[in-house]
Parts: sequence; C-alpha cells; structure tokens
Amino acid sequence: MDAILAAFGNVFLSPLNLGGLIFGVAVGIVIGALPGLSVNMGIALLFPLTFSFQGIGGILMLLGIYCGAIYGGSITAILLKTPGTPASAATTLDGYPMAVKYGQPGRALGLSTFSSTFGGVFSAICLVLFSPMLASVALQFSKPEYFALAVFGISIITSVSSGSVLKGLMGGLVGLIIATIGIDAMSGQMRMTFGTTYLLGGLSFVPVLIGLFAFSQVLTSIEDSYNETYVKHDVKLKRVFPTFADLKKCAITILRSSVIGTVIGAVPGTGGDISSFISYNEAKRWSKEKEKFGDGAPEGICAPEAGNNAVSGGAMIPMLTLGIPGDGATAIMLGALMVQGMQPGPLLFQNQAPQVYTIFLGLMTANLVMGLLGFSVIRLFVKVINVPKKYLMPIIFVMTFVGAFAYNNSITDVFVMVAFGFLGYFLNKMEFSSSAIVIGIILGSLAEQNFRGALMMSDGSMMIFLEHPICAIFLLIALVSLFAPILGPALKKVFKKPVKQ
Amino acid sequence: MKFKKAIALCLSAALSVSLLASCGGNTTSSAGSADASSAGSASAAGSQATTVDYPTKDITVIIPKNPGGGTDVSTRGLLQYMKNYIDGANFVPTNKPDGGGVTGMVETANAKADGYTLGAVTVELAMFPHQGKCTVTYEDYAPICAQIAAPAALIVPADAPYNSLQEFVDYCKENPGTVQMGNSGMGAIWHVATVQMEKEFGIEVKHIPYPNGTADIAAALTGGHIDGTLADPSSFVSQVQAGTLKILAIMADERSVMFPDVPTFKELGYDMTIRSWACVVAPKDTPAEILQILRDAAEKTCNDPEYQEYLMNQGIDPVCIIGDDCYQMMEEDHAMFGEVLAELDV
Repeated sequence: MDAILAAFGNVFLSPLNLGGLIFGVAVGIVIGALPGLSVNMGIALLFPLTFSFQGIGGILMLLGIYCGAIYGGSITAILLKTPGTPASAATTLDGYPMAVKYGQPGRALGLSTFSSTFGGVFSAICLVLFSPMLASVALQFSKPEYFALAVFGISIITSVSSGSVLKGLMGGLVGLIIATIGIDAMSGQMRMTFGTTYLLGGLSFVPVLIGLFAFSQVLTSIEDSYNETYVKHDVKLKRVFPTFADLKKCAITILRSSVIGTVIGAVPGTGGDISSFISYNEAKRWSKEKEKFGDGAPEGICAPEAGNNAVSGGAMIPMLTLGIPGDGATAIMLGALMVQGMQPGPLLFQNQAPQVYTIFLGLMTANLVMGLLGFSVIRLFVKVINVPKKYLMPIIFVMTFVGAFAYNNSITDVFVMVAFGFLGYFLNKMEFSSSAIVIGIILGSLAEQNFRGALMMSDGSMMIFLEHPICAIFLLIALVSLFAPILGPALKKVFKKPVKQ
Repeated sequence: MKFKKAIALCLSAALSVSLLASCGGNTTSSAGSADASSAGSASAAGSQATTVDYPTKDITVIIPKNPGGGTDVSTRGLLQYMKNYIDGANFVPTNKPDGGGVTGMVETANAKADGYTLGAVTVELAMFPHQGKCTVTYEDYAPICAQIAAPAALIVPADAPYNSLQEFVDYCKENPGTVQMGNSGMGAIWHVATVQMEKEFGIEVKHIPYPNGTADIAAALTGGHIDGTLADPSSFVSQVQAGTLKILAIMADERSVMFPDVPTFKELGYDMTIRSWACVVAPKDTPAEILQILRDAAEKTCNDPEYQEYLMNQGIDPVCIIGDDCYQMMEEDHAMFGEVLAELDV
C-alpha cells in the first residue's frame, strides 16, 4: 500500500515529473508523426536528460515519448497516407480512404485516438495484473515459434491485397527478397550486396517505407491534380470524440487487437509493426463486412491502432520482469532505469516496489495524457486536409527527403527512398499492394533466421515445427488463412449449386 | 471549450518550440562539421604556439551503430562525462548505422583530421577487414580511449549439471555435438569465441545464432531453449543476480569488478582473451596536441567514480585503456582475428 501511495506521489504530486511526462508525450507525438524520426532516436536523444531528473522523472518522460510516438505515426498515416512509423503502415489502408475519399478526417482521427488510448491503457493494466504470466508465455517462444509467428504474419498478405491475391503474393515475394539483402547472420556470408558497403547491413527499412508510401503518393497526387482548379475544402468538425455507433461497432475489434498487441509486445523481438498488421488481419477475418476493408472501414483503423499501442505495455513485461529488452526503445529505457540505480529483473518487484508501481502508473498516465492531447489537437490537424494540394504536396515532397536522410544520416538512403518511390508509383498504377511488400520486408528476416535456426537446433529435422504445440497451431492457422481466399469461393460454388437445384 | 482551446494552444506552442529546438540542434551539428575546416586551419596555426586553442567548435562524434545499442549508450555516456574535463567542449553524437556500421567507421577515417570529427569504432574493425567487408583497419585511426572491453563470459542456466569450466568441458566431451551454444550471428564475435573454445578444449558444440543480439540469447537461455553461451555478460546481469543463470568463467586477463567470484580462463590455465570493445577514435593524422587534450580528459573520466558507477549500473565493467594501450589492443585483436577467421571460413 505504501508503495502505491509513493507511486501516486511520484507521478502526480511532483510537477517536474508530471511535466516531464506530458512533455515526453508531446515530443513523442511529433516524432512519431514525422516520417524518418524514429521512437528510438527520440528516446536516445532525450536519454541524457534523464540524468538531470532526480529519481524516476526521466523514466516517466521516456515512457511518454514511447507511447506518444506509436500514436503519432497514425496522424500522418491517416491524413497524408504517409505512415510516420512502420507500426502505422497498416493504418493507411483504411484511414486514408476514410479521411480523404469520404471526407471524414475527424472521424478517422477520433477512432484512431480512442483505439490507441484504449490499447495503451489496456496493456498497462495487463502489465500490472498479468506480468509474471505473460513473461512465462514470452519465454516459451523459441525459434520454431518465432518462425510460425512470422509465417502467420506473412499469410496476411492475401487479405491486405484486396485486388488480386496473385499480385499480393508477388509483392510479398519482392519484400521477402529485399529482406535477404546484406550480411547473412546465419552463415556470415554476404548476399546481394554487389560489392557495396551500403548494402552490407541490408536496405534500410524506413527509407523504403517513405518511398513506397509517401513519395509515390506525392507523384500520384501531382498527376491527379494537374490542371485541377482548386475547390475550397472546408472540413469543420462537429465532434472529435467517436460516435457511440462507431464505438459499439468497433468495441470487440479494439479489445481483440489490444490483447494481440499486448501478447506480441511481450514476446521479445516483435513489436508494433507486426502486431498492427496481425490485428488488422484478425479484424477483417472476424468481420461480417470484409469487402469494406481497404475502403474506409472503421474497424480497419481501430484494429492496427489499438494493436500497436498495446505493444507499449507488453514490451515492458520482459524488460521489467526478466531484465531483457524486447526492442530498441525498451533497451534504452532499461539503461535509463539502471542509471537510476534500479535493477530490472526477477528481483525488481521484491526490492523496488515503489518504483515499479510508479512505472505502472506512469505508463497508464502517459496513455491517458496521449489521448487527451490527441483529442485536443485533432481539430488543428484536420486543417491539413484543407490545404490546397499545390501547397501541401511540395511540403510533403521535401519532408520525404528530410525524413529519409534523417533516419540514418545517409545520402544513399535518400536515393533508395526515391527509387522505391517510383517503384511504388508504378505498382499503384498496376494495382499491386505496397503493403504486401512492407509485410514481406518486416517479416522476411524473422521467418528466415528462425526457420534456419530451428533446423540447426534439430539437426535438420522438420519435425521440430510439429513437436512444438504453439508453433504447430500458428502454422495451421496460417495455412488456412493463406488458402481461404482462394479455396473459399471455390468451395462455396461446389456446395451451393446442389442446394439450388 | 475554453479549456480545450487553451490546451491546444499550449500544446502547439510546445510542439513548435520542441521542433525549433530539434532543428536548431541539427543545424549546429552540420554547421559544426562544415566549419570544421576553417577551425582546423586555425587550430593548426595555433598549434605552433605551445598550447592549442581547442575546442572552439562543436565536436561531431560519429557512432556507427543504432541509437540505444551498447556501443551507442556507452559512447554517449563517455562523452557526457568527458565534456566536464575539457573547457568549452560540446560533443554532438551522430548515429550512422548503415552498412552494418562500416559506413560510419569509414567516414571517421576519412574525416578532416582536425579534432572536430571523432568517431566510435567497434571490435568489428578487427574482424571485417579479414572477411572482405571493410577497407579500413585500426591503422587508419588515432585512438583516444576504449570505453568498453567486455570479455566473453561462459553463461549457463543455474540448474545445469555443471558448476565449473572443467565440468562443462567434461560434459561437452561426454555429449559431443549436442550442447547448444547461443551466439550473436555466425562469424560474429561470440561465435568466434565459441569456436576458439572448441579448439582449445577439443570439444564440439552446436552453434545456434541469435542475430539480433545478446538480449535474445538471454531470453533463450532463461527460457531453457539453449544450454549456454559465450557472450558479453551485461545483458545477463539481472538473471545472474536473480539466480536463474550462472557464470562459470570469463575470458579476461583479470577478474571482473562486477563478478569478482568468477574465475578467469587464464587463472584456470587457459590463455584465452576475447573482448568486445568499442573505442572513441580520431582520424590518424589528428595533431598530437589535440589528441593529448582528448586523452587526458578521457583518462580523468575513466577514473571518475561517478562515470564508473554509471557504467556498472548498466552491467558494464569499467576499463581504462587510453591512447597507445588502446592502439595496441586494436592491433593485437586485428592479428588474432586474422588467424582465427582464416580457419573459420566465414
């Protein structure tokens, strides 16, 4: 009890701590919204600032950045079809059509803000209640399970490529091939580097993402608006909070995605990019109106946004209970905690209960502050839609270059971004799905490394994938969802005809 | 309503300020490197006098790894404390992680040798040249200090049936090719360490790569999916302290400050030293006076108890390897990895 009271004091009674947290969330939202600025970069930049906070205030600030940045990515994803972070790539699928095609940017942002907040708070509650349990689930994951999870993710390609399944699979293959570029960590050999130093570490993902989504979108817009006389938009919002009807429709989706996000966050090495696509896929799988996905379905916004923000609480679980960071951002936070004299790991809960409760409470507060800030600036953000394209597009055009360079401070990344921008433009023309390529890149190395690693463990026996129950189940679901769109209609034909006759 | 507007206003003000601040930060850093040439000639002229006027500008430090990794955190930590020992110094760390870290290291080597561009290099500098992955070597740099030199530690689950290096080796001999040892990628340092151990003791183990780093090895080891690892102990500290993992021995010349009870391979009679280091370096032709200023400051920093505590808190053993000692370490490792990697064929 004393520990909980102390935590309340730490978070709410110290103006510096609360201020740091709010500042962190605000900075996080901006960093997340700008493509090219990553969560890790934001946290690493402000990490030295944590030294000057007495005690845990600096950690609260980092928590704020972490939550804010995951949410911030959705703002540009919805308004500009430019995901600010890889975790928001899935949000563009339905967010952009709803905001622009149907002219409801406020509804889209309202839904994403609500889902993000709910996902974040939900995962923070899970962190409080189920940490030890989720940590033991996470520890069950060995190479076969990671492989199965990756295959499960890749199988989503058939459902995000609404046009043609074949084109989706082709895009996915391109992504998988891109993921093999660089030093192959399983053999130490160089693959497809063509003797260049740049390709040793593989293609940088964020510049590719900026090219495929933002740059190509600019090209398309320029083409569309050529000679277009400017029609004055004037989107004014009556409300920013989602309607009750929308919430009721999405409630189950948001809850399901929050669970998915929390579990995926708890598994080390998997994060918001994977959970948002998986959440999207599950939302579509269980929806009665599958055909609306990809064309402004409200569930298509809620699912990835709840899914990626729920990762925040999940990722804290292995960091706090095991002392093992699940991703780059939590690795820096782990360092910051240790600088403050905390030792995350199995002993943390016994030895430093007040600090643990402060982190729990801080994470929850950060998510609520994020929602509050989000809802209060929606009116400001939607004005972007009112800006004529002839002014907006050049600005985005410049931003794509800045973002691609800022990610690694590398000019080669800028060339890569432009190349993928043109690629994305032509792919859009031919109705290929950029998302399929992105999924291939995100999951390619996870699948490959763990497939080969698992076979190393089993001395080459494939049985290892069936002997692990979690792995076998995932693979089965993946198989079903991969072939369902192809076999489903065929089966329907076979079974329905006799009934009619 | 008014309240909401007020929040929106405050927020947008805060955002624009923070944006301006971050933009401002970037411009100073790029201006720092752009102006470096003029400042360099100024300091070269100044160096004819007995003392150099250094630093007069921001000092850019190229970190060839992602923000948040061990190299990044330890380098930023060193710079944070080191600037207290140089009047008016302002270090601007810049991450250039593409090309697996090679690009950043090459850029440091090719930078103007005026003391305003420094960089971090990692143990891969001693490995990549032998693997055809990199054209620069230790000879292209003038080292200032090594902020980290983490030895390979033999780490196993606490409930494993072996309690010493000898028992582990005996177990491996009884069960050839079945003990699963995690490493951070084939041809990467902890794989090389494991292969060296196989050679030294005449044993054979199964190598399981975890390419995303030692945190994944820690998770696999704690989850009981592998039997052991030879790796930098910093990712394993909390599990060791909680008693779920144990360290049998470390490959260092002296015992670790953090784990004083763990014997070294050397005292057990096996002369093996494999360390994962990161050093702050300057391009090789940097004026001696400037190097001296930096090395003096680095030495004072290494002896600063606050800095040592900062490192220890993160599971890093504080080391003090300055200037020529650092060069010697890089040179020895370059030769050592040259031999080992030639046999390994990766």
